[in-house]
Amino acid sequence: MGLLGDTYTLLLREMLIFKKNIGVNVVRTLIFPLLFIILLGSFGSSPKNVPVAVVNYDNGPVSLNFLNLLQQGNGISVVYETTQQQAMALLSQGTVVGVIVIPSGLSQSVSGSDIYVYLDNSQPESAEVVSDDVNLAAAKIGAQTTLDGVPGDPSLISVIVDYAYGASSNYLSFVIGGLLVMVAAFGSVFSSGFTFLSDRQLGNLKAFLVTPINEFSFLLSKIIYGTFQSFFSAFLGLVIGLLYGATIAAGAIGFLELMWIIFLVGLGFSSLAIALASRTKQLQTYALVGQTITMPLAFLGGAFVPITLLPSFLLPVATVNPLTYAVNAVRDIMIKGSLPLSTLLSTSAILLVFTGTMMAIAFLLFRNTSKQM
Amino acid sequence: MGEYAIEIESLVKKFDNLTAVNGVNLKIKKGEIFGLLGPNGAGKSTTLNMILGLLEPTSGRIFVNGTDMHKNPLAARNEIGIVTQETVVEPELTAEQNLMIFGRLYHIPPQELKKSIDFALQLADLTSFRNAYAGTFSGGMKRRLEVSKSLMHAPQILLLDEPTTGLDVQNRTQIWNLLRDINKKQNVTILMTTQYLEEADQLCDRIGIIDHGKLIALGTPAELKQKIGVSSVIEISADKADLPRVAEVFKKVGLEPKILTNKVVAPGGSAATKKIEMLVKELSAHKIDIHNISLHEPTIDDVFLKLTGSEVRDATGEYVSNRGSFGMGRGR
Repeated sequence: MGLLGDTYTLLLREMLIFKKNIGVNVVRTLIFPLLFIILLGSFGSSPKNVPVAVVNYDNGPVSLNFLNLLQQGNGISVVYETTQQQAMALLSQGTVVGVIVIPSGLSQSVSGSDIYVYLDNSQPESAEVVSDDVNLAAAKIGAQTTLDGVPGDPSLISVIVDYAYGASSNYLSFVIGGLLVMVAAFGSVFSSGFTFLSDRQLGNLKAFLVTPINEFSFLLSKIIYGTFQSFFSAFLGLVIGLLYGATIAAGAIGFLELMWIIFLVGLGFSSLAIALASRTKQLQTYALVGQTITMPLAFLGGAFVPITLLPSFLLPVATVNPLTYAVNAVRDIMIKGSLPLSTLLSTSAILLVFTGTMMAIAFLLFRNTSKQM
Repeated sequence: MGEYAIEIESLVKKFDNLTAVNGVNLKIKKGEIFGLLGPNGAGKSTTLNMILGLLEPTSGRIFVNGTDMHKNPLAARNEIGIVTQETVVEPELTAEQNLMIFGRLYHIPPQELKKSIDFALQLADLTSFRNAYAGTFSGGMKRRLEVSKSLMHAPQILLLDEPTTGLDVQNRTQIWNLLRDINKKQNVTILMTTQYLEEADQLCDRIGIIDHGKLIALGTPAELKQKIGVSSVIEISADKADLPRVAEVFKKVGLEPKILTNKVVAPGGSAATKKIEMLVKELSAHKIDIHNISLHEPTIDDVFLKLTGSEVRDATGEYVSNRGSFGMGRGR
C-alpha cells in the first residue's frame, strides 16, 4: 500500500461519512444553487452603453436619422466600422454585443431595403437592450421589424434582427452557466477545506499522521473528496436549472463537455482550498479567506455579469482568473451551441495548470506545517 | 533487543521564545507502565509528540526499541500505538468502520483485517455495538474504542496522552482496568501522561514528574513518597477567606503550613496526632470554622507539592482536577 492505497482508505472514510449524512448533504447542496437560480434567474437589469458596431454603407439622410434616434438614450454606444467583416469579427470576439448593417442606397430607395441587426445572444441582457432600442428607432422612421432573420414586407424598410447563435437564449441560461461554475468552485472550498480543518481541530489529522501512511495521501483524499462534492453540487444545480427552464444548446455532447469543465473547476478549487487550509488553524479564518477569494473570482469571471461590462481596470484580473475561461466555455456550450475544440483544449489546459500549481503549493505548505502541529 | 522500549537523550524543544522541553533524559523499561506527571504546559504532550515524530526536536535523540526515531520514523511508528488527548473516534462512523479505517491505515493485510477488528471490539468490550455509530457512545465507550483502535496493529508500546481526562470515576476505573489488562496480558509497554495524581499513583509502575520542561523526579510511587521525607500530612480545609487565619494557627502549634486553593497543609512530623489535638483547640479558641481535618500518609499530591511548590495546575494557575470534558463528542 503506497500513496494510492492510503488515499483510497482516507477517501473511503469520507465517503462513508458522506453516505451516513446523505440527506443533509443533498439538502445543503441544493439550497445554494436553488436560491441563486430563483433569485438571479428572475432578476433583470438594464445594462447601459452596450457596445454596438455600425457599418453604414448608405450615409444618406434616412440612415443618419436612424442612427441619431438609436443614440438618443444611453443604452447603446456606437462604434463605426467600415466593413461588415470587421464588425462581425468584433461580435464574435465579444467586444461588441450587436452589429448593425445599413445597406447602400437605403436613403434613395426607401422601400424594400433591409437593415440587418446581428445580436450576440450569449449576452442576453445586453442583446435585449440593443434590440429594444433598434425597435424604437425603427418605429420612428416608419420601418417594420422582424425577428430571427425573417425578411419583412418588401414595400417597407425592414429592420431584420438576427441572433448570432442558434439557441434561443435567456438570462436564465446565462446565469445558470455562471452559477454552475461558481457552485463548483464554492462546493470545493467549502467541503474539502472545511473537513480538512475540522480533522485538524478534532485531532483526526494527528491520528492519521501517526500511522505509517504517506502524509500526502491525506491531501490527495481531501482534494478528490472536494472534487466529488463540488461535482455533485454542480450536477444537482444543473438539474435544477434545466427543470427551471435553462437549456444546453450543444445537446448531449455539450452535457459531457459541461461536466468535464465542472470537474476541472472542482479539482482546481479543491486544490486551492487545501493550499489555503494547510496554513490555517481556525475555521473562521478559513471561511473568511475562502469567501474573500472565491466570491470575487466568480464575479470577475463573468459568472453573473458579462465581462464586457467590467470596468477596464478589472480586466487584467479577469484575464488571469481561471474561472473566466471556465465560464466562457460553459456559455459556449449552453448558449452558443458548440464548444470549439481549441477552446476546450485551452480551457482544460488552463484549469489543469491552475490545479497543478495549487497542488504543488498545498503539498509544499503541508510538508512544512505538518511537523508543527 | 535492549532492555528499554523508549530511550530519550537530552531532549530539547524550543518554540519561538518558549522552551517547552528542556533537556529531558528518560528511559522507559520494556513491560512497565510509566506515568509522566505534570501540570498543563509542563511539556508532557510536547515530549509525546516528539516520540511520535509529529514534532521535530530542537536537539536530542529518541530511540524506540533501539530504532532512532529521527532516522526511521515509519519503522518506529509501527511499534507504537497512540491515544491522543482528543477523542478521535469518528462519530459519523460505526465502531466497526472506525476500526476498519485505522486497520487499513496501519496497513494490516486485508485477510487479517476482520480478525483484528473482532479482537479490538472484544478488547473494548464493544462487540455488541459493532454496527452502532460512535457518535451515540458514552465518553468511556469512545475512549475504550480509541484505545483498542490504537492496538490493532499489535504495537509493543502504547502511548496515551491524558487518557482519562474528562471521564467520570466509573469510566476512569474501566480504562485503568483495560490498560492493566493490555499491559499484563499482551505485554505492551505503556507510557502515559496524566495530570491526575491518583491515576499515576494507582496505575503506574514508575512515575516521572515534569515541570517547566524538566524532569524533576523519577521513581516508583513508593520511592517518591519516601523521598520527600515526610511520614504524614495534616490537611485542613476551610472557607477561602479563613485560610490565612488557619495558617497562623498552624504556625502557632509549630507546623510549617502551606496555603493551597481551598486548604492548608503541613507535614505532620512524629507527633502528628498531638498536633491535631492542639490545632483543634486553637481553632475553636479563635472561632474559626473548618470544613474538614485529616491526617494521611503522603500522596503523590504531596510529592508534587514539595517538589514544585505548587499544586497541579493548569496554565492559569487554577486547580484542574474538576475541569470539564473537552474535545468529546463533537461532530463535524
